[in-house]
Amino acid sequence: MFEYIVSKYNYWVYIFLMMLGLYGMIGKKNLVKKLIGMNIFQVAIILFYISIGSKVGASIPILTAEDLHGSANPLHYMNPLPHVLMLTAIVVGIATTGVALGIIIMVYNRYKTLAEDEILEIRKKSGV
Amino acid sequence: MILPLDLILLLFVVITGIAALQIKDLLGATIILGSFSFFMCLIYTEMGAVDVAFTEACVGAGVGTVLFIAAVHKTKRRSKD
Amino acid sequence: MKVFALLTVIITGVMLVYGAEDFPKWGDPNQPGSVHVAPRYTQGTYIEAGTPNIVTSVVADYRGYDTMGETTVIFTAGMACILMLRKKKRGEGESNV
Repeated sequence: MFEYIVSKYNYWVYIFLMMLGLYGMIGKKNLVKKLIGMNIFQVAIILFYISIGSKVGASIPILTAEDLHGSANPLHYMNPLPHVLMLTAIVVGIATTGVALGIIIMVYNRYKTLAEDEILEIRKKSGV
Repeated sequence: MILPLDLILLLFVVITGIAALQIKDLLGATIILGSFSFFMCLIYTEMGAVDVAFTEACVGAGVGTVLFIAAVHKTKRRSKD
Repeated sequence: MKVFALLTVIITGVMLVYGAEDFPKWGDPNQPGSVHVAPRYTQGTYIEAGTPNIVTSVVADYRGYDTMGETTVIFTAGMACILMLRKKKRGEGESNV
């Protein structure tokens, strides 16, 4: 049992970060706090993929001089595929964060507040 | 893969993640989110993903923090929760 | 509301812990993600793409269309930000702001 827990410790940390991000998105009222929760959630997924790609006793995915011509042993290098996918995911995540911050600025210009419940109150009062 | 270093870094990540969600000052929360990103960058380096690590360091921690600070500057800094 | 959020989060966490049973161990060299196409990338990168950095050759050579789509996404996000945050001229767009 203890060995089982230790052999998968990265998965426990990623599960905890995912729960933290989900709580931030659901439980917090402030819109910027919701966005911070979304960032944490995204980082948890990236951590999951990166930890899938790692191998015990392997090196970084850059070939050394003697392995250049097709003689590389795949056990000596990390799996490069999750790294590539997460490279894309990080940049796209920052782009979505930027769009979300733009929407937050527009919401603030219209309602003069960032709290979700106050925005709902104003909308209910004005009959929208 | 160095297990004690990994455990210490993961502990720091958890602490900064909780702090970024709990602090009431939005500017402080943003800066702590930046430090969260840098600790994640150290974890990626430690797991052997160097390209992901420097992308995270310049895009995730740098540009992301700048965008957040610009948005907080244009809106309100105080938060109720 | 806080109770509802905590309940949702805890249910999600229990489901994730249940799902973690099937994951491979940390750093297992023979896990399913590392045996299918990744060895081919590792061995063929210098012969086929001419760079020793495997991640670079996969991003720019083997999966170049993926990177092109990513560029489209970032361009769309930038255009959306510009359209949302520009200063409005008088008589244009009273619906927002």
